[in-house]
Amino acid sequence: MSHSVELTNVGMTFGATRAVGDVSFAVEAGEFFSILGPSGCGKTTILRMIAGFLQPTEGRIAIGGRDMSGLGPNQRPTAMIFQSLALFPLMPVWENIAFGLEARGASKAERRAKADDLLKLIALEGFGDRMPGELSGGQRQRVAIARALAVEPQVLLLDEPLSALDLKLRQHMRAELRALQKRTGVTFIYITHDQSEALAMSDRVAVMSAGVLQQVGAPRDLYESPRTPFVASFVGETNAISGTVVEVSDTVATIDTAHGRMSGRSGEGLKSGGTARLYVRPEALVPGLDVENRLTATIERSDFEGAFALLHGRLADGSPLVASVGNTALAEAPGPGESAAFGFETRHAVVLADG
Amino acid sequence: MRWNAEAIPRFLFALYMGAFFLYLFAPLAVMGAATFNASRFPTVTPWRGTTLEWFAALAKDGAMWQALWTSFVVAFFVVAVALPVGTAAALVLTSLHARARSLLYALMVSPLLTPGVVIGIATLVLWRRVGVGGGVFLIVVAQASFIICYVMLMIAARLQRFDRTQEEAALGLGASKFMVFRRVLLPFLRPALYAAGVLAVLQSIENYNTTLFVRGFDTPLTVYIATKVRTGLTPAVNALALIMIAATVIGAIAYEVARRRQTRRG
Repeated sequence: MSHSVELTNVGMTFGATRAVGDVSFAVEAGEFFSILGPSGCGKTTILRMIAGFLQPTEGRIAIGGRDMSGLGPNQRPTAMIFQSLALFPLMPVWENIAFGLEARGASKAERRAKADDLLKLIALEGFGDRMPGELSGGQRQRVAIARALAVEPQVLLLDEPLSALDLKLRQHMRAELRALQKRTGVTFIYITHDQSEALAMSDRVAVMSAGVLQQVGAPRDLYESPRTPFVASFVGETNAISGTVVEVSDTVATIDTAHGRMSGRSGEGLKSGGTARLYVRPEALVPGLDVENRLTATIERSDFEGAFALLHGRLADGSPLVASVGNTALAEAPGPGESAAFGFETRHAVVLADG
Repeated sequence: MRWNAEAIPRFLFALYMGAFFLYLFAPLAVMGAATFNASRFPTVTPWRGTTLEWFAALAKDGAMWQALWTSFVVAFFVVAVALPVGTAAALVLTSLHARARSLLYALMVSPLLTPGVVIGIATLVLWRRVGVGGGVFLIVVAQASFIICYVMLMIAARLQRFDRTQEEAALGLGASKFMVFRRVLLPFLRPALYAAGVLAVLQSIENYNTTLFVRGFDTPLTVYIATKVRTGLTPAVNALALIMIAATVIGAIAYEVARRRQTRRG
């Protein structure tokens, strides 16, 4: 597979603010690639630089192997779907969809035919003559996607397009977007602050914080092997236990904590004697599991979520601990007020140096 | 206990609305009624009998029709100048940074704060220097110089509600700047352009004090009516006013009917 979009040491400075610093990554052709981060982390800036609405102050962006510097948004093989969708409210749906073809000088018959094809693709046949204001939120969403696909872009850029929808519709649109991407084979670059969205849809995810790229990887990699404290705590829920490194090898690191000695897989840059944190997911904590790594907490409350329950407890030093217990094991799980010991496997925890 | 909570405010409101509309329309009613008075002067007292003769007198007043035609010609060209220039000014204004914007805004609105007489005299003095005397051309120039401000304000108000991401979306789909303007921005501005056009026509036709100084030998309607005041005003002028009011009201109703029909069609 070839690189569809390649960013090399890209940086963006607005006045005195450095919005994005030294970001490099490559997106493969046909990949569903997400950029995940809290609001203000620079992810939208990156997307706008790829689209050509902003020119990076440093580095270069190439699409399909071609350097894009100096090219405006109307000269790039990209199409963007905006958070607000930005449908043209005064044009019927079919003219919205065919707008990009109109810009390329296609005849009216050609445009109409293509618009009808795309309406079929998004299951909105016969909606061509409606106005955007007459459609529901989910339908407008699909029209925005069709409008972007009409120009047959190499890369489709999506700026949190699902954030305005309600939960049910959002989950439905997630599946639909994913299916559409697989069917069309277009490279998708998807921006979101919702980690479950990014994990569920993407082939790979780039996690950003404060304008810096933290880690790029498959959703499972990010979840199971976070490389920075930010990724460990931002992607999914986790428990962080701080301590001092006593022993470190290529694969395992052991730290001394206020709750005893425990080990996890070792991250980069760990030094014996340095401060570090051990990160362990709620589902890795098993009540009563008799292993070397153990944490004892007093359970304060148990939140029943259906498939599982989250046990919220406090460790001896008062710091919180969250464990999740599957529905089928719930009967044996400790209840509120009880003190319980949780064990976890070394391979289910990660030790990362404090950054 | 029920009446003082509900009835008094409602009564006061009705009283206020009554007074408001009386204040607004009583002069028009009196002026309209005077058209049908057989008196030689535009008045309702004493009533010398009901007549339609002033409409006949109006029809025969060739100079007045000439003046009306001149006003229309002026209004046409004022709109032709003010709409594009005012729109362009509004576009520039909304694309500027905050500080430059407030400076340019003050500069462009200043003709509205300048007395019309001053604009008239200033226009005449300036164009005299390059050998252009008063006439329809100068009336258009002088009127446009402040009517452009109204157009600009109206278009700028509409532009403020324009969703800039639509422009970006269009560019992102490969549209040229011109296509963005023609297919996205212009349709969005259309209602404001119509409104500004109507306002420009009304401002142009009713203008007197600026027009007076730059008219040269051309006589638009307001100037004609003012000269008649000196030489003897007859209710024929009222007849003309009545016709213009009727035309305005019919136009407004027709517009509203068309608009409602369109909304119903969706």
